[in-house]
Amino acid sequence: MSGRFTLEPVEWAAWIPPVDAATATPRQRAALDASPQRDSPYFLTLAHDVDSLEQRSPLFHAVMYVPRGLPRADRELATVIVSIINGCVYCSSVHARRFVELTKRPDVIVRLYDEGPGTQLEPRQRAIADFAAKLTREPQAIAAADLRPLREVGMDDLQIHDLIHAVAMFANANRLMQTLGEPVTA
Amino acid sequence: MTTDIVDTAAGLASDSPVAALRQQREAFVRHTQGSHDVLITPSDPGGVSLIERAAAALRVASIERDAALVAHYRKRLLEVGADVVAIEAMNVSPRLEAILRHVSLLTTAPGSATRSDLETLRHAGLAERDIVVVAQIVACVSYQIRVVAGLRALAEEMRA
Repeated sequence: MSGRFTLEPVEWAAWIPPVDAATATPRQRAALDASPQRDSPYFLTLAHDVDSLEQRSPLFHAVMYVPRGLPRADRELATVIVSIINGCVYCSSVHARRFVELTKRPDVIVRLYDEGPGTQLEPRQRAIADFAAKLTREPQAIAAADLRPLREVGMDDLQIHDLIHAVAMFANANRLMQTLGEPVTA
Repeated sequence: MTTDIVDTAAGLASDSPVAALRQQREAFVRHTQGSHDVLITPSDPGGVSLIERAAAALRVASIERDAALVAHYRKRLLEVGADVVAIEAMNVSPRLEAILRHVSLLTTAPGSATRSDLETLRHAGLAERDIVVVAQIVACVSYQIRVVAGLRALAEEMRA
């Protein structure tokens, strides 16, 4: 794995001028207020198309934070795996830090950064990493057999449902984040 | 009442166990469909035409080889009066060609995009909002493809 991935905070700079927060329309203001980092350059860039931001922010929020179902640490781990595969330094930094806050396990992230998603992991993390990697790389190859390792570590239907959405959400996030601007290391 | 694109593409009957499971996550269902609707069938398409929007979505589904979503976006292109054969053969205007090349890049190698790729879109006549719309369409369909693929596996497992 590349040494670009980090547990340190990363900034992001847009390649097109973001919306000016001071002159945002009321609809843009409301959609920004519902976004994770309301006046960051990233969300101010997405605010150019308020129609899609109005849908995406509540979707992202629900997929990452809705109560019950897949534990939050598992969602964060899945999004880090996807972000490493897609090369998204910014996304992986944010969500790796959330995973560490929840689990106190920076060692898992360091191994993933150093050795990639194939690194040695505990059984539940292994099952999540394998499923996240396959759904990211080869969505058409996913079949019922790919769910067996998730069942073996005790996941129920709702947890698998949530895992599918967390992985899919970062097919989305990594594509926006890496194609409208770039990470800036502080 | 529009048809739910995920249920349709994943082949989920409304009384199926996976469709019932989805109803436990009402916000996922609502905003997954909502994202699709505002990007593909907006009442005010602004600077990216309905044909360009559907063509971009079709391109993502074709690259990812999702037959159900390819069929969905081909149908949508026909609804808005596009020449689907010409679009799939890339026999299109320089502007749409620039959009579709960008869509291919974002689908297959998002980490390879650079500032100059957005300059190319600007030269093709896209404004800032239009550039965001194209990226959101690729992001939305890339998400949709993986949701549908995962739910199909879950349905297959439940039938077994």
